[in-house]
Amino acid sequence: MELAEFDENTPYAIETVNLNIYYGNKHVVKNVSLRIPRNTVFAIMGPSGSGKSTLLRSFNRLLDFYPEARVEGVVRVLGVNIYDEHVDPTIVRRIVGMVFQIPNPFPHLSIYDNVAIGPKLHGMCKSKQELDELVKWALEKAGLWDEVKDRLHEPATKLSGGQKQRLSIARALALKPKILLMDEPTANLDPVSTTRIEELIVELKKDVTIVLVTHSPRQAARVADYVAFMYMGEIVEVGTANEIFTAPKNPLTEKYLTGVVG
Amino acid sequence: MVLVKRLLVVLLGSYARRFNRDDKRFLVVVGAFPMILLSLLVSMPVIIVVKSTPIFEHEGIAVFISSVWRAVEGSAEEEFYGLLPAIWGSIYTATIAVVVGGILSICFAVFVEDMVPHRFRDILSTLMDVMAALPTIVYGLWAAAFLAPLLLDYIYKPLHQLLAWTPFFSFPPKTGYTLGTAGVLLGIMITPYAAAMIREAYSSIPLSYVEAIYSLGATKLEAIRLKLGMIKPAILAALVLGFGRAVGETVAVALVVGNSLTLTLSLTSPGITVASLIANMFASAPYYKYMESALFAGGLALFMIGLAVNSIGLLVIKKWEERIGLHM
Ligand SMILES: Nc1ncnc2c1ncn2[C@@H]1O[C@H](COP(=O)(O)OP(=O)(O)OP(=O)(O)O)[C@@H](O)[C@H]1O
Ligand SMILES: [Mg+2]
Repeated sequence: MELAEFDENTPYAIETVNLNIYYGNKHVVKNVSLRIPRNTVFAIMGPSGSGKSTLLRSFNRLLDFYPEARVEGVVRVLGVNIYDEHVDPTIVRRIVGMVFQIPNPFPHLSIYDNVAIGPKLHGMCKSKQELDELVKWALEKAGLWDEVKDRLHEPATKLSGGQKQRLSIARALALKPKILLMDEPTANLDPVSTTRIEELIVELKKDVTIVLVTHSPRQAARVADYVAFMYMGEIVEVGTANEIFTAPKNPLTEKYLTGVVG
Repeated sequence: MVLVKRLLVVLLGSYARRFNRDDKRFLVVVGAFPMILLSLLVSMPVIIVVKSTPIFEHEGIAVFISSVWRAVEGSAEEEFYGLLPAIWGSIYTATIAVVVGGILSICFAVFVEDMVPHRFRDILSTLMDVMAALPTIVYGLWAAAFLAPLLLDYIYKPLHQLLAWTPFFSFPPKTGYTLGTAGVLLGIMITPYAAAMIREAYSSIPLSYVEAIYSLGATKLEAIRLKLGMIKPAILAALVLGFGRAVGETVAVALVVGNSLTLTLSLTSPGITVASLIANMFASAPYYKYMESALFAGGLALFMIGLAVNSIGLLVIKKWEERIGLHM
């Protein structure tokens, strides 16, 4: 399959139709039909165990690595049904980057190599100079360049938690993805680092569509354009951030936002 | 007992004061055994040095760097023992073993952890445990009857035809009892231990890193390469331990190494190792004045090689671990 099959001009970055996900016979994502508009920040909220991470991992076929997971239904990424037989999941993951809850730069690689590894895997750069420029670009996008430009070849483990998370973001951005999945990216960070990442998210949505799982209604209110509320595997409410926070239609959403549920 | 008590008080200093009377008695009893072990350990190099002193007085450092071996009964002054072929053989076969065992154990670890369905994992790892538990003489007999002729017919002979101009296959192969066979056998013998260590480290790589590499669109092969890079310190540790085992292995090697005092790079040539030399000669050593001492000098050489390899290995591992701030 080719990268070109993904249509960058479809209105929806991600579209699911009757998506069901099971772990063994445990039904964890139920009949989800979602549309995520391009170049927006789309937040998914909901209590612990409601299936947010599972849903997110179905968007880049990372569930392939959970042997007991089974996906039924359609997930379209830029128009391509990524569960179609002819689809190469490694290409899907180039288009759909991911940032995890625990900052996870590779500990045995330098700051530079952590960013360069993706482009190297896909042979994206023809020369060392081109690669240097791409690394710089990604680190700048992630707002980390100024802090690390003089120590690119130090191990990534020397960075602080917030810097590590921005390095994880830079690593994902170096592949020039169209979509970035973020699973509670600030759950393990201090307030200052959290603010930096939130600013970054808003900045990034010019180029990429961001799907953000978060437990913090405040965070969602600050950065999200749309919010989906998930409860026990179902999407019980979707709307613009404004609608959800000012006039939630579903009582469960309201209870969650006011701290009664979850 | 009193001595042990004194020693403990000296060693533990003010720490001993934290124990009450009964505790102290208990401490003395329990502490006695590690103390005994410790003193045994210290006595080993001491005894080896003492026993090898006569040969150093007789021929000096030549015992380590000469290839001449002259055992003359009844005429002590004529006796001369050079251990170089044996020392070389030990280092050479252990190095081959590390290469062979390294490849085998890395492949095994990756295969079991990443390629095989879960339910076969236990079977395979039990198999490895059984291999680790086999007496080494069984390996030796198996290699003499099976591995040696196999390597002779399918590896040494064809490679000698092709590559006789290289030092590694220059010797015309006549039997399968060669340095190469000893090295390969040792490699097989260290595999169960090395594979267990490497597997342990490989499987303990946090899922978060594994997901990270796949989320960048890596293929399975690329992910495996990255994961192996991540556990480099553990792999090195396994290989250093493997080298130690290989360099000291005696009986299995004695059966297949050919037992010829030859200094050679040729994998197709018979050779000798220090351990197999000692095993072969020790019984006849009392008929000569210096031979026993020379054999102890061989032991000393092994001791020093083991110490050197371990220290260098540990240093490298420590440096890596400091660099990445990760302890596996
Ligand atoms: N590998 C797995 N095997 C079996 N069940 C799983 C697995 N991973 C998750 N689950 C179950 O699936 C359900 C959804 O889990 P998921 O991690 O998607 O929830 P979440 O909404 O992300 O929760 P949290 O907010 O705590 O991260 C939970 O009940 C969980 O126990
Ligand atoms: Mg989660």
